[in-house]
Amino acid sequence: MTGYDNSGMADVVRVVAADDPVRPLFSPAGELTPEAKSRLGLDAAALRDLYRNMVLIRRADQEALNLQRQGELGLWGQYLGQEAIHVGAVTALRSDDWIFPSYREFGMAMVRGVDPADMLTLFRGLSHGPWDPRKYHFAPLAIPVATQVPHAVGFAMGCRLKHSDEVVLSTFGDGATSEGDWHEAMNFAGVFKSPVVFLCQNNHWAISVPLSKQTAGSIVDRARGYGFPGIRIDGNDVLAVYAAVRAAAARARQGDGPYLIEAVTYRMGAHTSSDDPTRYRLDSDLEAWGARDPIVRYQAWLKDQGVIDDGLIAAMAAEAESAAQAMRARLTSLPVPPPGEAIFGRVYSNPPASFLREREEFESSLEGS
Amino acid sequence: MAKAINLSLRDALTRDENVLIFGEDVGALGGVFRITDGLQKAFGEDRVFDTPLAESAIIGVAVGLALRGFRPVPEIQFDGFIYPAFEQIVSHVAKYRNRSGMSLPITIRVPFGGNIGAVEHHSESPEVYFAHTAGLKVVTPATPADAYALLQTAIDDPDPVVFFEPKARYYLKEEIDPAARVPIGKARVAHEGTGVSIIAYGPTVSIALQAAKTAAQEQISLEVIDLRSLSPLDMDTVMASVGKTHRALVVHEAPVFCGFGAEVAARISHDAFDLLEAPVARVGGLNVPYPPARYEKLYLPDVDRILQAADAALAYG
Amino acid sequence: MADQTFRLPDLGEGLTEAQLVAWRVEEGATVEVNAPLCDVETAKAVVVIPSPFAGTIRKLHARPGESVAVGEPLVTISASDGAQAEATPGTLVGYGPGAPESGIRRKARAAAAPAESRADVRAAPFVRQLAKEKGVDLEQVTGSGPGGRITRADIEAATTSPALATSAATAAASTDGERRISVVGIRKAIARQMVRSVSTIPQFTEFAIFDATNLMGDRERRKASGRPMTPLPYFIAAVVKAVQAFPLMNSSWDESRDEIIVKQPINLGIAVNTSHGLLVPVLRGADQLELSAIAEQSAQLIDGARAGTLPPGQMSGGTITVTNVGASGPVETGTPIINPPECCVVAFGAIKPRPMVVDGRVVARSGAWISISVDHRIVDGALATEFLTTLVSELESIHA
Repeated sequence: MTGYDNSGMADVVRVVAADDPVRPLFSPAGELTPEAKSRLGLDAAALRDLYRNMVLIRRADQEALNLQRQGELGLWGQYLGQEAIHVGAVTALRSDDWIFPSYREFGMAMVRGVDPADMLTLFRGLSHGPWDPRKYHFAPLAIPVATQVPHAVGFAMGCRLKHSDEVVLSTFGDGATSEGDWHEAMNFAGVFKSPVVFLCQNNHWAISVPLSKQTAGSIVDRARGYGFPGIRIDGNDVLAVYAAVRAAAARARQGDGPYLIEAVTYRMGAHTSSDDPTRYRLDSDLEAWGARDPIVRYQAWLKDQGVIDDGLIAAMAAEAESAAQAMRARLTSLPVPPPGEAIFGRVYSNPPASFLREREEFESSLEGS
Repeated sequence: MAKAINLSLRDALTRDENVLIFGEDVGALGGVFRITDGLQKAFGEDRVFDTPLAESAIIGVAVGLALRGFRPVPEIQFDGFIYPAFEQIVSHVAKYRNRSGMSLPITIRVPFGGNIGAVEHHSESPEVYFAHTAGLKVVTPATPADAYALLQTAIDDPDPVVFFEPKARYYLKEEIDPAARVPIGKARVAHEGTGVSIIAYGPTVSIALQAAKTAAQEQISLEVIDLRSLSPLDMDTVMASVGKTHRALVVHEAPVFCGFGAEVAARISHDAFDLLEAPVARVGGLNVPYPPARYEKLYLPDVDRILQAADAALAYG
Repeated sequence: MADQTFRLPDLGEGLTEAQLVAWRVEEGATVEVNAPLCDVETAKAVVVIPSPFAGTIRKLHARPGESVAVGEPLVTISASDGAQAEATPGTLVGYGPGAPESGIRRKARAAAAPAESRADVRAAPFVRQLAKEKGVDLEQVTGSGPGGRITRADIEAATTSPALATSAATAAASTDGERRISVVGIRKAIARQMVRSVSTIPQFTEFAIFDATNLMGDRERRKASGRPMTPLPYFIAAVVKAVQAFPLMNSSWDESRDEIIVKQPINLGIAVNTSHGLLVPVLRGADQLELSAIAEQSAQLIDGARAGTLPPGQMSGGTITVTNVGASGPVETGTPIINPPECCVVAFGAIKPRPMVVDGRVVARSGAWISISVDHRIVDGALATEFLTTLVSELESIHA
């Protein structure tokens, strides 16, 4: 799957204020205004592609969970319910804009074109980083919370220093905003006016800890304290996410510095396959948020717009089903890379002799060597 | 073991109203390993509480709470997530008493070690960073009974203790005696033998015991020492064993390079120089980042590697 | 239609078992891939397990309420046409006890020979290596170092290889008329042992002359009966008797514990000059031997030392040393140096006629000097004198 190519598309986001071109697109409640929605500049094919990508990544997510339950993956962290953010944000960027993800951004990587079976080798225990970040402009997953945020800021600082016009998307969850790394990175971005878009996927849960016990005050308000604007938006509306990221990225690209988008969504699954959300989450929450499902909502809107019909919907579902089966088949047939290379191969650019000796000793200690 | 630790925490909460338990997901969820299961319900949200996702602050506030008269038992969720708290632990938890005369009775619980098939940062063995830091006591149980008793001692101790829990052994089962206490700084002979002293701690003790069992079938007698405490280090027990066997082997999951085995080996080499019939051997992790799960068994010490090292020690001379 | 067995995977990072809550399928039912099979409860959560295979349920391996270990069979499914899915690793992660190992592994160890048990021998690794190289059995060597530690010198002293001796004095290039002799082997061992003696043992020496008339008379008698004997056995026998009277002379100072170790058997070292240097073979259990046995065994030891055929064990473990300095020249006496860790060394000078006062008149009688050097930490002058007096009296009371 390839991301939607938006490079040739006219930039329809009207910059109404140098300080904050995003806010005018949204209602005070964080809904994309009908006017802004009508000016997105996405044609029918582009609109359908947003839908198709959400369906594809959701089906892959479910298949990955199945694979975990069948012993094929060690762990899986579902992003069920957060597909609008994954698809909307990536689609809004240029393909050379870098993304620094957390650990739940499998869907984003798929939209960027990373092969899902390859990606899953991370959770299959075969690799710590199965894709080349330089090829996809997609950094490795960062498992320790918030640690990737300073990397994104540093990369963005580098873009400025190199006088290139890429921007950086730094994405993280609500829990990450409690970490020192996050605050330090936010401040750096403000001080150095770095071309970075901070995208908080506020899914209401940090494992079992609800937002109310995680964060005093609001996440979006923190941006102002660090010297740049921010907005809280409906994270279950793919077009809202698309519009906000697109506008914030354009602002950063023209040198106006960082922007914080708090995309409000809900983690409909468990934290990971090891988690038991029934211990802390109310079914009523699930029902309420289920009613705001990003795919169902967008599908209804597309139908309403006449952009999609049941035939197309069924075709896309079938495509997602066969893609999931292909992913499973490919994943389970991928060879196990030789241990010497997997363990020692990527540690150093310039491996010390002692390190190479240890590798040799290790390899000769293996059976069949 | 998970239940033994849970019971130990429960007993500590019951015994001393100043004991507080906090960390990420320790409340309603009961911890990602269910170590604190039911404690919030039993003791209330003031005494068992979830914190924001901020390891540095978890430990930093533990310092403040201890100064105010509490006995904090913070949890760091995984070994690989302790590093944001490193400054607080090294610069303050370890040194506060030295600059103020005020004791910090903090017990920092950390699940550690690998062999659970986890993703990156969930299988690390950072114990030596803390053992290297004066002012801290660093302990790790290998059995449910020790986990219970050692945690009681750690919580009662007026000094800060880093309590490493071998997460791969959480599901070991054993009867425990709630009256038992294990002093900090006292190793135990987990298995008596005469040929080689295998010095292990935490997750590697059960591997060493398996090795001893296998060796016994070949009439090779291995002694297994469970250090239980890395700092302070019980060299008396180690030396008594080495005095008997004249050969020693240290086993841990952490990389051999600059690992805890280096300290043990140096001490044995110095104190028992004239008794050694073979160089002190070390079996541990490779000098690489902890590998992906599929390869961890190749990285971790196992029975074969322990026995190979023991054979080499016995064949040395 | 191949049967495929699905084993319980580790569902949550390091779990070892799960309890079966309920089956969602029955034996004989047909399932698709990902169809829900059952609910299980682990230590972490209750989860639904979807089928990894399509086909017909052949066997459910556990009943609700039962515990299933990770890696144990959960369900056997016979694959439907076209669904030739390979057996799942099933226990990819967490590995559970008894889970089948697959793929690459470290070489298994080959079973080793049983271990030997060792005595409590103290020696530095270098010394052990040296002993190994020289073929010296450490258990046969008595350590002269602190705490009974076997030193390099002990090993070297215990080594009798003539090959060593030939390498002992290899001349290096000389300058300005000097010659440098590299010191190895026995020479080096002697040097270390002597330095150790004088630098660690405060020793004093006492002298006496004894009247050897009776001794020489006994020798004459034996010679006449065809059983000649050198003076040495008489010296040894007398020393043994004097030591039996004063056991403290047969002891060691334990520096590590500030204790005196009084030795039970008298293992008498005999200083022997050999072509490759001074060696001290040990006459073990000298207190158990008659004079003739002393003569016989000491002769064997001396011959063996000179021939380089003595095993190292017979070159170590002495408790007191005798040196016959008068045997090879007109030496009256000397100040012997204690052979550590012993307490005492006894030197005998040449027996020859000398003026002595007997019954108030100067007469010529056979006599010789005795000198003893003693560890002053253990023995004071008074005791040394008593020992020396007893020794003289033993020698003089030999029945002619």
